[in-house]
Amino acid sequence: MIKQLCRKMFRKSLWVYHANSGGCNGCDIEVLNVLTPYYDAERFGIKLVGSPRHADVMLCQGPAMRPTAAALRRAYEAMPEPKLVFAIGSCACGGGIWHDSYNVLGPVEKVIPVNYYIPGCPPRPEAILYGVALALGLVEKKMCPVTLQRRRLPIPRYHPESLVGTGIEIVYKDAEKV
Amino acid sequence: MSLLSKIRETVLCLKAGRVTLPYPAEPRPVPPRFRGRPIFDAAKCIGCAGCANNCPAREILVHDVCQELRIIQYLGRRCTFCGRCADVCPEKAVTMSHDFETATNAIADLSQRLELFMSTCQRCGRCFPEPSPLERLKLKGYRFDDVASERWIFHSKGYLDAESTVADIRIDLD
Amino acid sequence: MAAREKLGFLRQRFGSAIVRADLTSDRRLYVFVEPRSVKEVCRALFRELDARYVITIGADDRPWSGCFMVAHNFAFDRDRLLVSVMCLLPADSPRIESISDVVPAANWAEREMRDLVGIEAVGHPYPKRLVLPDGWPDGLHPLRKDVEWDEAPDCDDSGTGYDFDDPPEGCTVVPFGPFHPTLDEPAHFRLYVEGEIVRGCEYRGFMVHRGIEKLAESVLGYNDIPIMAERICGICGCVHNVAYAQSVEEAVALRPPPRAEYIRTIMLELERLHSHLLWVGLACHIVGFDTLFMQAFRVREPVMWIAEKISGNRKTYGLCVIGGVRWDITPELSDELKTVLDKLESEWHSVARAVKNDRNIQRRTRGVGVADAKVVKEMGLIGPVARAAGVDIDCRRDHPYAAYDRVGFRVITAQSADVWGRLVVRTDEVFESIGIIRQCLARLEPGPIQTPIKEDLPAGRFGLSSVEAPRGESHHFVITGENNRPRRWRVRAPTYQNLQGVPSMIRDAQLADMTIALGSIDPCFSCTDRIEAVDVRYGSVKVWTPRELREMAKRPQSGRDIKDS
Repeated sequence: MIKQLCRKMFRKSLWVYHANSGGCNGCDIEVLNVLTPYYDAERFGIKLVGSPRHADVMLCQGPAMRPTAAALRRAYEAMPEPKLVFAIGSCACGGGIWHDSYNVLGPVEKVIPVNYYIPGCPPRPEAILYGVALALGLVEKKMCPVTLQRRRLPIPRYHPESLVGTGIEIVYKDAEKV
Repeated sequence: MSLLSKIRETVLCLKAGRVTLPYPAEPRPVPPRFRGRPIFDAAKCIGCAGCANNCPAREILVHDVCQELRIIQYLGRRCTFCGRCADVCPEKAVTMSHDFETATNAIADLSQRLELFMSTCQRCGRCFPEPSPLERLKLKGYRFDDVASERWIFHSKGYLDAESTVADIRIDLD
Repeated sequence: MAAREKLGFLRQRFGSAIVRADLTSDRRLYVFVEPRSVKEVCRALFRELDARYVITIGADDRPWSGCFMVAHNFAFDRDRLLVSVMCLLPADSPRIESISDVVPAANWAEREMRDLVGIEAVGHPYPKRLVLPDGWPDGLHPLRKDVEWDEAPDCDDSGTGYDFDDPPEGCTVVPFGPFHPTLDEPAHFRLYVEGEIVRGCEYRGFMVHRGIEKLAESVLGYNDIPIMAERICGICGCVHNVAYAQSVEEAVALRPPPRAEYIRTIMLELERLHSHLLWVGLACHIVGFDTLFMQAFRVREPVMWIAEKISGNRKTYGLCVIGGVRWDITPELSDELKTVLDKLESEWHSVARAVKNDRNIQRRTRGVGVADAKVVKEMGLIGPVARAAGVDIDCRRDHPYAAYDRVGFRVITAQSADVWGRLVVRTDEVFESIGIIRQCLARLEPGPIQTPIKEDLPAGRFGLSSVEAPRGESHHFVITGENNRPRRWRVRAPTYQNLQGVPSMIRDAQLADMTIALGSIDPCFSCTDRIEAVDVRYGSVKVWTPRELREMAKRPQSGRDIKDS
């Protein structure tokens, strides 16, 4: 029962720890913007703290790099349960432009498990707020995978019926349908 | 001296008042040129893979299942929203939408997959080479990805080799 | 004219050592010298002709000429000249004499050359690994042409630690990083502290090294690289974008149309605006003054909105392609920009007045992080750090690019060489930027925005470009290549040079001043909030919270005069 109460109260006020494991700082500055007057994340009860031990949520930015992967892992393990991890920006979600470079391990989820992804390069402060609101349960998710098919199989090749004739009959012997 | 500057700063803050925007309660419109999530339109796409060749993040991957079937997949994970795919597309099949509310808890939600029928020349059955340098660049496949880590092998050449495609057809014309 | 003079001087002095000289224009000089006299040539340029050191570049040219290549770049700011002293080294023994004892600013560049390309600088005073991570095997040099861009050795890094130097006598070690709690790139400073005075420091950084130059040579094409260059730094991205495009255009002798040059200038100045406003806010936050932090960000937000309206994104505008720009500024956007600038100017006047007369900020920043003109020359510091020390350099006026030769502006200098001077310089530069944007908007003529490129770009040409970023001079060097991508691209961001000046700035200063001193060079990472002090002798660990540090910082320091500005 205590667990349920904790789960309900968890979302009321989240303390956030920011970890930049090798990004360009673009998303850093947008996170900083989220705390400033126009977008004001503090009205949701969000506070930036200086230590992973005080935090509920870790905001990760930047891809997981070889030098910082161990530090990122340690910061994640230092956070007490329950905890959430947000991956902000295209570098943290998928590795970014340099996902296959020699010093980059890949997206942050190769090192720590991620709960929420906020893509963008850099994501607008509104997009970050949207992600936070999604985690808090204030809004609904809008994305889903899309498959568009424009194929016709089996494909008849050189089908005589679809050719407008000039009166001359053309015979195809041994035409195979693939 | 110091007190006066503090008073000035207080006046500065008070004059501004409260400026917080009521997002996400109210929607925030974006300017018309905003580059949000790219949307791929399968009806217009001709499968030239120009977007795949010009994506700096190598986010758009191309896989040829057989000569007629090409799969173009936009993973959406490491897209930088630069708009090069929309610039380069000859058919304007890629539009940069105004979507920025793309947060999700499963990263595969962002992918868009197009399965396209590629038509071939009716006489010889091959895809034909393009004359201009830009077109040639679009068909040149210098991006190599590997299959093991969810990446596709992209073998696009100017034209396919003759033997493998027309060997099964014999066309007799009277 | 100036290029020929310098070349004449070098010929007269060194005669036979100069193998070849290319004068591509009056403002660029490429001199090929023999490896044995490189040090003497650099000494003559740096000491006698009083050039400013820019960067040293190592390149693997073996597939084309069979040699390794080293280039030492210098700048003559008064004469508007960029000089590159190059030499070719044999492929089986790439060794060259180090110039770090004559040019102290070349320290990092030569270490990086050794890490990434494998060219050994013989006689370097401190040949330690700089760029690659700890567990990287020796002998695998990523920028060589026979190494693939994604070849990452499998070795496990957790076992190896960085081999730090021993601290000097009587000092404890205060580690500073690599994970800073607020908004940081990971970086590690190890301060050697005696009581509360800092006696020295060691820097272990480059944790954000993403292999950009290798990607540009292997995988991306000419027009894809500007998109990547923008993301080298999130704040000064447009600068790298424009600098790369300009260096390629210079290499192939292509000139973008005038409208494109004006648009580039406008976006560069917009970026300078938002970067300086951000820095003033952050500096106030570091000294503990959160009110001005919030106000500076509030004032800055309309700049981001107008940038989004013009370009499609708040930063990383996606501005350049080779030969022009990707999008245009319509008359409506131009009018809107003028309104935003007017409002910004009036608000910034009040913020600037409040900051400059604030005694508390002055007490925290005067006399802190001093880097005088001598240090600026020795370590090659640039940007507001140099201008605050009274050294009058600015690439917009000295090496004009884009439309800067057609607009008028003042270069702001201060004489105090400390953090306060840098604050004043940056605050005043905001007004100059607003003036430049207004002049550009008035002079925009209708016309095309891209030069059409009819054929493949020629290979093997050199291009140099120096662009004034908000933090200093950003210098790009490009060798064009085959297959629609460059052979070598070297980016020298301004923080690269400025960080080398930090040890002299914080030596013999208070520990609590370290954060603002580091923040005053406006590194592409902002400053830390929390320090862990490890007392080596007693083995006790004391963790200071941000509040404690700020309280410590706010205590009045003894022996510091307060002068009214």
